[in-house]
Amino acid sequence: MARKLDAQESRERTLMILTPVVSVLLALIIGAVIIAALGKSPLQGYAAMLQGSLGTPAKLAKTLERACPLIFTGLCAVFAYKCGVFNLGGEGQFIMGGCVCASTIFGLHLSGPAGLVLGLVAGIVAGGVWGLLPGVLKITRGLNEMITTIMFNYIAMYFMEFVFKNLYSDNGLPKTVAVPDSSRLPGVLGTHVGVVLAILLAIFLWYLIFRTSFGFKIRAVGMNPVASKVSGFPVRRLVLLTFIMSGAIAGMGGAVELMGKTPYRLADGFGSGFGFDGVAIALIAQLNPIAALFVAILFGVLSTGGTMMQSVIGVPTAIVDIIRGLIIIFAIAGMAFIKLPQIKSFIESRLTGGAGKGAPADTPKKTEVEA
Amino acid sequence: MRPGRTCLEPREVMETQHDERGGQDMGELLRMEGVDKRFGSFYANRGVNLSIREGEVHTLLGENGAGKSTLMNCLIGLYTPEAGKIYMHGEEVRINTPRDAVDRGIGMVHQHFMLVDAMTGLENIILGDKRHASPLLQRGDDRKTVEELMERYGLEVDLDARISDMSIGMQQRVEILKVLFRGADLLILDEPTAVLTDLEVQGLFDIMRSLTDEGKSIVFISHKMREVMFISDRVTVLRRGECVDTLDIANTTEQELADLMIGQKFTESSYRKVEAPGEVRLCLKNVCYRPQMKHGGLRDVSLTLHKGEILGVAGIDGNGQTPLAEVVTGLVSPESGEVIGPDGSSIALFSPQAFIDAGIGNIPEDRNKMGLVGDMTVAENLVLKQTGSERFSAGRGAWLKMDAIQRFADELREENDIRCTSVNQTARSLSGGNQQKVILARELDSHPQLLVAVYPTRGLDIGATGFVHDQIVAQRDAGCSVLLISADFDEVLKLSDRIVVLFEGQIMGTYPGANPPIKEISLAMAGK
Amino acid sequence: MDFFMASLPTILSATTLSAVPILLAALGELFSERAGLVNIGLEGIMAVGAFVAFAVGKMTGNLWLGLVAAMAAGVLVNMIYGLCTVTLCCDQVVCGMAINILAPALALFGYNLFVGSNSANATGSLMPHIQIPLLSQIPLLGDPVFGQQLLAYLAFILVPLIGYFFRNFRGGLSFRSVGENPQAAETLGINVVRIKYAACVACGVLAGAGGAFLSICTTPIYIDGIVMGRGFIALATVIFGRWSALGIMAASLLFGFFDGLNVALQAQFNASPVMFFKMIPYAFTIVALVFFGSRRAGPKANGQPYYRESR
Repeated sequence: MARKLDAQESRERTLMILTPVVSVLLALIIGAVIIAALGKSPLQGYAAMLQGSLGTPAKLAKTLERACPLIFTGLCAVFAYKCGVFNLGGEGQFIMGGCVCASTIFGLHLSGPAGLVLGLVAGIVAGGVWGLLPGVLKITRGLNEMITTIMFNYIAMYFMEFVFKNLYSDNGLPKTVAVPDSSRLPGVLGTHVGVVLAILLAIFLWYLIFRTSFGFKIRAVGMNPVASKVSGFPVRRLVLLTFIMSGAIAGMGGAVELMGKTPYRLADGFGSGFGFDGVAIALIAQLNPIAALFVAILFGVLSTGGTMMQSVIGVPTAIVDIIRGLIIIFAIAGMAFIKLPQIKSFIESRLTGGAGKGAPADTPKKTEVEA
Repeated sequence: MRPGRTCLEPREVMETQHDERGGQDMGELLRMEGVDKRFGSFYANRGVNLSIREGEVHTLLGENGAGKSTLMNCLIGLYTPEAGKIYMHGEEVRINTPRDAVDRGIGMVHQHFMLVDAMTGLENIILGDKRHASPLLQRGDDRKTVEELMERYGLEVDLDARISDMSIGMQQRVEILKVLFRGADLLILDEPTAVLTDLEVQGLFDIMRSLTDEGKSIVFISHKMREVMFISDRVTVLRRGECVDTLDIANTTEQELADLMIGQKFTESSYRKVEAPGEVRLCLKNVCYRPQMKHGGLRDVSLTLHKGEILGVAGIDGNGQTPLAEVVTGLVSPESGEVIGPDGSSIALFSPQAFIDAGIGNIPEDRNKMGLVGDMTVAENLVLKQTGSERFSAGRGAWLKMDAIQRFADELREENDIRCTSVNQTARSLSGGNQQKVILARELDSHPQLLVAVYPTRGLDIGATGFVHDQIVAQRDAGCSVLLISADFDEVLKLSDRIVVLFEGQIMGTYPGANPPIKEISLAMAGK
Repeated sequence: MDFFMASLPTILSATTLSAVPILLAALGELFSERAGLVNIGLEGIMAVGAFVAFAVGKMTGNLWLGLVAAMAAGVLVNMIYGLCTVTLCCDQVVCGMAINILAPALALFGYNLFVGSNSANATGSLMPHIQIPLLSQIPLLGDPVFGQQLLAYLAFILVPLIGYFFRNFRGGLSFRSVGENPQAAETLGINVVRIKYAACVACGVLAGAGGAFLSICTTPIYIDGIVMGRGFIALATVIFGRWSALGIMAASLLFGFFDGLNVALQAQFNASPVMFFKMIPYAFTIVALVFFGSRRAGPKANGQPYYRESR
């Protein structure tokens, strides 16, 4: 009997993994239909996309570099949502990370490894502080963090404008001077070391969330704050800590982006859209840091490949954005779909063939009718 | 026989009236045939037959989970049964939505009231009604209609008060008015007496009488034998979703019904009562918490709990049970007064962690909300409070020992007979009884000095209830002190070594658990 | 103070101009939340509304057609949200977020096709301002209040109508009951699912119109990111306005006022770092929530999925 039950469990697991994969395929198919409707060849387009993003080692490196900030904002979202904190402020925290990193380096006239290390630390701290603010507002005043984090995003965006237009403008142009050569992140295999940092961070977060008592408590708070409180967890402190940590992750991303990627300076559009992309990544990855890594890379592929697709078959890159949006809709709807009671029992009856009716495996899922 | 618990005089008087009304020739109003309702692969109803006559009070009798409410929810179109037919006045009808049921004159007063708290009584009554052609609300006209109904059936309601400001009894009357306003001929009352004081029960029965006198039929759902014997004309007994029998109340006895309901000879199982307990484990002195609130506060509560005894807190639901439980588990701190913990010192810091550290275990009021993290696995729920301990992690929580957790969970599962396919399935997917076993296993594993059990068997079937009761008594015998807070009076009587009564946040008196003065206690529960 | 008096006309006319899109979207959200659906996808719906109104208005030369098309597009996009949350019982926040990601992409895609092929399409036209005779001559208040575009007048007229609907219509009462206690509503024969879908339609129409206002009344162009967080400000407005139509109007006027202040300050002190003025509406949103954003109010069953046969 035990074997049958394990089968049921693994089936559920397979469905959970299958859903995002199917979502990606479905979204690509719809993308193909749109391309075809524009009178272009979808096959040619997708070939160009793959070629342009993974075709050569250099292109692969470019893709990873593009995915790098998304890994950070994706992890920022994953970590926050695990604790039930709906942080939509990844973008603002990312931007503040970049801003303060830049200000530290330019303001203190740092160069060399000192600039690199201090810049990185400054970025992490700034991101953490920017995450802390909505956290404090949530804990003390009960404010919905979704709204406040978005507002802080816009404030961060205008602050960045101040930094690159007024504080450290490059000869009055709307961009900052570049980070000195010696303080840039060293390169590896055609990309910068920030990518490695991002991958290590994903692994570390997986360990933290799933293998430590701290992560256990974070997850418990995310799923049921009341039971967590009854169980003696310091719920408010954990929530606040989550705000800080997820902000710090995004802030680190901002610093890495600034010091790792050309043009090594702040300008309009720095970090733009990364926050929402991070949210999408986290949701598609079902809040698993390792999965988020891969989804972020997929987004990188879509991004760099999209540009190539545009130049080869002449469809707007926005089609890639649509595909991304569709993936997340399909993934969410799909996951809810397989969880619906009717569908669940349908799948079960199909797969077990109605065999195990009396078995304890089918213990009634009974909860009292609630008011 | 169960202890007679509602023996107030007026009841006795009315009991004699009962025989005069029996034996009338009444036509059939409604018939249900062969109703099946499944949830997943579990049959909540299977082949149920039911026939209701005009002008009768027909009781559906059965233990928790016997399928009474499910059957009625099928009748009012809230659930769609898998099989079965419904006839009204001999004609087959289909009831697919609640609207159909309303149109056919069937109305239900749910156990948990279906009222919109933020609206007034009148708004709740006229909500969704379509008698007027105009899309605008006709408050004036409808108020007149409702007031007539109030007059006719003796239902007293403040129509302009918000539901949240009403007493439970008045809320129930709003529910009944709601049903009557829609012209129901058949009223279904789902455990209407569970939330009422004895006096309010009396009032409800008067209302039921005036309704049947007007020719309306009532389905009365209950498992309280005395009430059933008192008010019903006929009884249908359900057991595990199946219909056992339908009997005329005049030709049956409490004993027979109890046997049918439980499916075996009902025997009074009784636990030993302890009379000479040990040292003091918990002491509340003049504790106040939101004393101005009658239903959510505590006023000047003092009580003492000794080693190795079960102190039962009896009372109607919503008379301060929740704040009492919250104070003694550290969830809230009292506004004044003193709480002395197991180590004999006064507790200064009210936090759940401090109370856990002091050796206080907690079976909380609401399993799903407060006791379990539903989306975590059974194993994770079993180690919920201990992930930082040496036993389950290395380096103070820096590396969880997954093997140790797994082994521990399997052991507890074996010991406590937790029925699940694997300890790695989510706690949410377990049945209520097994969820409660998970909580019990977790709380008792740490060998608490004091166990706070709040409504520990609410919504459980007989088997699981027995298991929980056995565990609680076994803990007492092992030297643990138990504070049992329950609205189930029978449970309190069965388990407690001493009983206190809580009414509107106040302690009304302390009574012995062996040979309890039942009449006195039920009066105290009504505030007298 | 001198500055304030001097630029009061600027501030006031900017106030109504920037209050209207927020007001429209927030009224849509009011319908949604009254039926228990928290829709954070307003931002996305507004983006689609803005683009469709712009494009259809430009193509047909009739801005009202553009507006109607924007409303229809808003409904269409919001139906995705409705399907996911009402029928599939997904998490509402997650779905709203998905709309925020998908919808602007659709708008941008459309824009690329529309303008990318023909750059003459880049600029559309604006709705004319209608000066109400006499009333618009009132000093100070006359022009901003009685010299607006027709769509703005319509938005303000909607406010008492919606308030009346929720108070005195049978449907309004049903709406409220669905957001407060859907089970209770269901037992009274109210079709909960249908009302939730109706709420999605109303929300789509109004948020679409709110978006349209941006591209046919505020500016004659569409650019990516034109909504600039107004969808989220509208969410805050609903909280701030305590889930009542009148309160929402007051709140959105207040937000509009601070946006107007920002515009006036920018015009006056154009040499200073103007980005700090641009922060004002966003900072004010946070401040307003800090003081008035207690989460205790609001429909009780807000945000919870409704399973019809839940056990």
